[in-house]
Amino acid sequence: MKRALRQLAIVLALALVPALVSGAIQVQWNSETPTSHGEVTLAMIHNWGDKVLWVDARTRSKYDHAHIPGAILLNEDEWDSLISPFLDAWDPDVPVVVYCDGGSCDASHAVADRLRKEYPQVTKLHVLKGGWSAWSGK
Amino acid sequence: MRFPHPLRLLLLLLLLAGGHLHAQLKWDAPTQSFHRVPDDKEIWAHYTFHNTGTTPVTIKSLRSSCGCTTAHLEKKTYAPGESGEVLLHFIFGDRKGYHRKTVSVTTDDKPTEPLVLNLLITIHDPVTIAPALVLWKTGQPATPQTVQLTVDDPAHVHVKSVASSNPRLLAKLEPTKPGEPSVITVTPADTTQKESAEISVQTDYPVDSPHAYTIHARIK
Repeated sequence: MKRALRQLAIVLALALVPALVSGAIQVQWNSETPTSHGEVTLAMIHNWGDKVLWVDARTRSKYDHAHIPGAILLNEDEWDSLISPFLDAWDPDVPVVVYCDGGSCDASHAVADRLRKEYPQVTKLHVLKGGWSAWSGK
Repeated sequence: MRFPHPLRLLLLLLLLAGGHLHAQLKWDAPTQSFHRVPDDKEIWAHYTFHNTGTTPVTIKSLRSSCGCTTAHLEKKTYAPGESGEVLLHFIFGDRKGYHRKTVSVTTDDKPTEPLVLNLLITIHDPVTIAPALVLWKTGQPATPQTVQLTVDDPAHVHVKSVASSNPRLLAKLEPTKPGEPSVITVTPADTTQKESAEISVQTDYPVDSPHAYTIHARIK
């Protein structure tokens, strides 16, 4: 009986090695997942009332196909030509909410980070959690 | 006939299961870094892999985190011992600074555990303008605001001209000593009403295709 238990302990210890290696790889992958700072949900935005400046950080073709009513286009593909219309539409007293596709897209955070860095006057700045998918329900 | 000891059988099964945890596709460099300038415009990055397993592996999907990065694959299924590559094409657009783009590779042997290819890019513009926006609120004093243009190599970059799109928001290049950052002063005529101007700063850098930079001025 003791021998069997010892063998079982050895087997479990050996099985632990590949499990730990696999786990370490998983932790490494997960640590590289982008963080989600500054995100707000649709429910939170609804509580703010109607005064929101929506910023669509997707590509022009996706924006042209469909976008949140009133949203203006601002992405890093065409930043230099789109930043002026954004600044014209921007009101310092109105919250800005940036969105992209949702899921694994990173364009909304990229646009928000760049606005924070280059245009620190834009203080009321948020990213829509779930993006266009959350808005459209698709 | 002698049957294997149950614990030996369990050991064999666990070791086989442990072996299955390792992906059959071995990647040479799943993370790659590039340092570029805006004029480079694009990057093609090669991610090579080898099927080190004993069965064919099929790449089921390549999912990019950004529309700016497209992934290309010659074929989907790779036999044991065969090599291949995923080619990532990143288009700068108007991006600057540090960017991390990812492509998730899903294979049929690990459909729920995609491997992540990382493309790390630093796009360094040798010229920076700060602040990019000068802002007044209506009714505020019409105090001049200054913008600095800083360059990596002052000997090779000079401001040739400064022009505002709105005569009610005047822009002027201030005299500076050689080697010091260029200073541009923006002054509103008054702040009684909302105004908007784009101020173009024309440089002589690079020589073959000199760049102009934009300062945004707003009265809100």
